[in-house]
Amino acid sequence: MKFVIFGGTPGSGKTSVIKHVIEELKDLKIYYIKFDVLKTMDDVLIREKFGITTEKGISGDICPDHYSVMLFPNIIKKQKDKDLVIAETAGLCLRCAPYVNEGLGIAVLNIASGKPSSYGPLLTHADAVAITKGDMVSQAEREIFRIGVLKMNEKATIIETNGLTGEGALEVAEIIRNMPETKGKLTLRWPMPTALCGYCYGCKIVDPIEANKRYLLAKKIKEKIPNINCGKCGFKCCNDFIRAVLDGEAEESRCPYLRKKEFKLANRAKEP
Amino acid sequence: MISKNLLKEKQKQRTILINDKKPPRDLKFDPTKKIIGYLSQTMKFLTDTTVYDFLKMHMEVRGRHESEEETQRLIKKIIVDANTITGEKIKEKMNLLILSGGQSRALMIADLIYVSESPIILIDEIENVGIRVHNALKLLIEEGKIVFIVTHDPLLALNTDKRFVMKNGTISKVLFSVPKERGVLSYLSWINDYVLDIRDQIRKGKQIEELKLVCSPLS
Repeated sequence: MKFVIFGGTPGSGKTSVIKHVIEELKDLKIYYIKFDVLKTMDDVLIREKFGITTEKGISGDICPDHYSVMLFPNIIKKQKDKDLVIAETAGLCLRCAPYVNEGLGIAVLNIASGKPSSYGPLLTHADAVAITKGDMVSQAEREIFRIGVLKMNEKATIIETNGLTGEGALEVAEIIRNMPETKGKLTLRWPMPTALCGYCYGCKIVDPIEANKRYLLAKKIKEKIPNINCGKCGFKCCNDFIRAVLDGEAEESRCPYLRKKEFKLANRAKEP
Repeated sequence: MISKNLLKEKQKQRTILINDKKPPRDLKFDPTKKIIGYLSQTMKFLTDTTVYDFLKMHMEVRGRHESEEETQRLIKKIIVDANTITGEKIKEKMNLLILSGGQSRALMIADLIYVSESPIILIDEIENVGIRVHNALKLLIEEGKIVFIVTHDPLLALNTDKRFVMKNGTISKVLFSVPKERGVLSYLSWINDYVLDIRDQIRKGKQIEELKLVCSPLS
């Protein structure tokens, strides 16, 4: 099984490029998951168009990149029978781009939105860069943009793609065909940003003391729960659950581990 | 859109060879190595800089590190030639973003000629952007470029040496320019010049009361 992650800002044409690439790889058994923050229909569109297994991951209050990385191991485990797993990120943050060393990372960049130098690991840690919307700018600017991309990531294979005509999709597909199989534990090419403050737990008052209060309250709950993001409470991850508890939207007892007697005892034993 | 015929071609898995060899990937993906320069109606400049700095930047990307005087001389030439294609003059201090559609296209053509150095130029329907297409063609041909032009303009089509007639995404006919067609062209050019002349008079605020009916293909 091969694992490919497509990153890129919203509107860069990721989905269009992926559609053309899937078209070129029709002979493979493909699974596709689209990550987004609020809603998306891309999974339905792609399922209807190609008849492949698709899913969506809606991250809500969690950073969509953190969320996707939390789900990756399960996806890989469940889709073992597939030849290819494609994950499309929400593409909000130019910093993370959760590419893994064991898979392929493809950055999709819209030539009309910003200089290559303003991109972070999304671009610098990609194996291939698909440049879209090149038909909207002059040849001179296409050449200048390409050099800008190479300055940020000299090893990347650069492919000019067109979401309308499918230009370049064959070449992206070729890179995927030639990549090695994804094996073993996944590791991130670039660590996620540090997110440890009251605001991460939903503090709305812009004040460092209030934010710290919220953080300390959250920490208390965090020490009691297993932090394995099992999702049995109905929330996407433990931090999301803590946030809901602090907001008064959920009872602590919603966590099945806190309900279990043994767990409670173990927690009590921890207390001095 | 890709036509059905083209898709069929794709399914046949044919390979294009250049000099009996599969061409290197670079030839397709590195725009500085592509032999075809491309210009379309929808292209816009997006870089927030002056015409002079932009051309200089492009020359550097192309690996042309000439002396300051040589760079200045070439940029002057590019702007002078671009100004034969557009009615509104381009100046080197102008910001790229304020250039009109016609000025942008004119500058792109001059850039294709002198900086990009592509031997083949593909021009996609640029008759509607208010540039003097004939001047542009003259300039391109004088510099030894092979020009492919996609057009619906009869004058422009008749002005070429060879015409490909497209149908369902493939070439259905190849026509060569013949002397009789040249005659038709010169008559149509006369009408076109006449219309341009009237346009000029209207612009100057004149009343158009007379219609010139006699014309000679030879004039």
